Amino acid sequence: MAALGALPLQSGRAVPRRTIGWATALAAGLMIGVAYALMTVALDRGAIQSGVGALAGIAGVAAARARLHAGNAFQLGSVHAIPEGAAIGGAMAVSVPFGLMMAATLAVHNIPEGTVTIASLRPARGLGMSTLLAVVANVNQIVFGIAAFAAVQAAPALLPWLLGFSVGALLHLVFAELLPASYQAAGRTSIALVTIVAVAIVVLLHDGAS
Amino acid sequence: MNPATQVFLAALVTAVATGLGALPFLVVRSMSPRVVAYAYALAGGLMLGACFGLVAAGTEFGATQTVLGGLIGVIGILIAQWRLKDRPIVFGGADVASARQMVLLLGVMTAHSFSEGVAVGVSFGGGEALALAITVAIAVHNIPEGLAISAVMRSKGQSVPACAAWSVFSSLPQPLMAVPAFLLVDWARPVLPYGLGFAAGAMAFMVLDELLPEAYVRGNHTTVALLTSVAIIAMVLFQHAL
Repeated sequence: MAALGALPLQSGRAVPRRTIGWATALAAGLMIGVAYALMTVALDRGAIQSGVGALAGIAGVAAARARLHAGNAFQLGSVHAIPEGAAIGGAMAVSVPFGLMMAATLAVHNIPEGTVTIASLRPARGLGMSTLLAVVANVNQIVFGIAAFAAVQAAPALLPWLLGFSVGALLHLVFAELLPASYQAAGRTSIALVTIVAVAIVVLLHDGAS
Repeated sequence: MNPATQVFLAALVTAVATGLGALPFLVVRSMSPRVVAYAYALAGGLMLGACFGLVAAGTEFGATQTVLGGLIGVIGILIAQWRLKDRPIVFGGADVASARQMVLLLGVMTAHSFSEGVAVGVSFGGGEALALAITVAIAVHNIPEGLAISAVMRSKGQSVPACAAWSVFSSLPQPLMAVPAFLLVDWARPVLPYGLGFAAGAMAFMVLDELLPEAYVRGNHTTVALLTSVAIIAMVLFQHAL
């Protein structure tokens, strides 16, 4: 799905900064919505485990970000894919509809995220190569999704930890990267609106899937 | 003790508890731009965490109604921002921009207390009301909300007693609404998801449109993000435990 993020960039003209900001806010809102849905499910399966898992997720992303080169969109994309994969794997273990809802939401979220990644890589690498890199950066998602699902199948007690980890990691990514970048690109009010609408969509989907 | 006196005492306890949220600011002396940024991030995280709880509670009564309520809440804040825009607001001796933001925040938090009051009334409606348990739960729940309000107001140069007093004020609608909602539970139940959604939408918009952007401008992005995300998790766990 990240490759679809290349579509808005086909015209070859520079993408307006505002559009990038809104795409980022859309991705951010979907991630907050996913975190909300995962947290409601995780709390019922162990509040302390999900809480500690969430703090570990925050710490994990903070540590990963501290080690990465700032502004390397490919590496950052790969970091995003880990908690997203874990979220899908964990959600699948909760129930198939919930897992499918999570996978669909994160797939849609990969489109604007792909647009942002490709737009930042394109000046150096060209559109085709950037699109390929954006997709490769998301391959982790499949690997971690399967690994998470297998781990939770083998040891169901891990589930609240895993869900909590995804929640913390996703939230920290939103507040450390997506939101500050989107505010700089498009100002505050439109970003707040796009983010809230995206969260609302996931809240409705989550209700439909449970 | 007659029921009216009990309600009054419960109201007093829960409202006063909100004021406890101002206490940490007796220790925090300096209010440099960086401290302000982190106070905003803390307030923003606590409010977003509260939104998670409001939405979760609202969807139990109806997800569509909750989301509609949320959109009304966002529109409500947009209108309030627009109405307050060019007014010479006087509040606590602060400049107009700070006064506007404090009035908006207090409006949002007070409005959210109305919905929470209805929620408390409805959740105990029909069942045996455990007055002490309700009182303790609301009271403790209110402390971090007072912390959020105080974090913003203290940043605007308000005194700690003023922060505490306004925090208490913001919670007064809770017991006031809980009693009629409890008595008129059949009437209150269908309205509740709209109210909870309204509170969540208004609070989330206030955070995303005012508090977080200002936190990012004044402070280090990573630290703001850490405070916000940890505050969300802490608030969600805290409310879940109650």
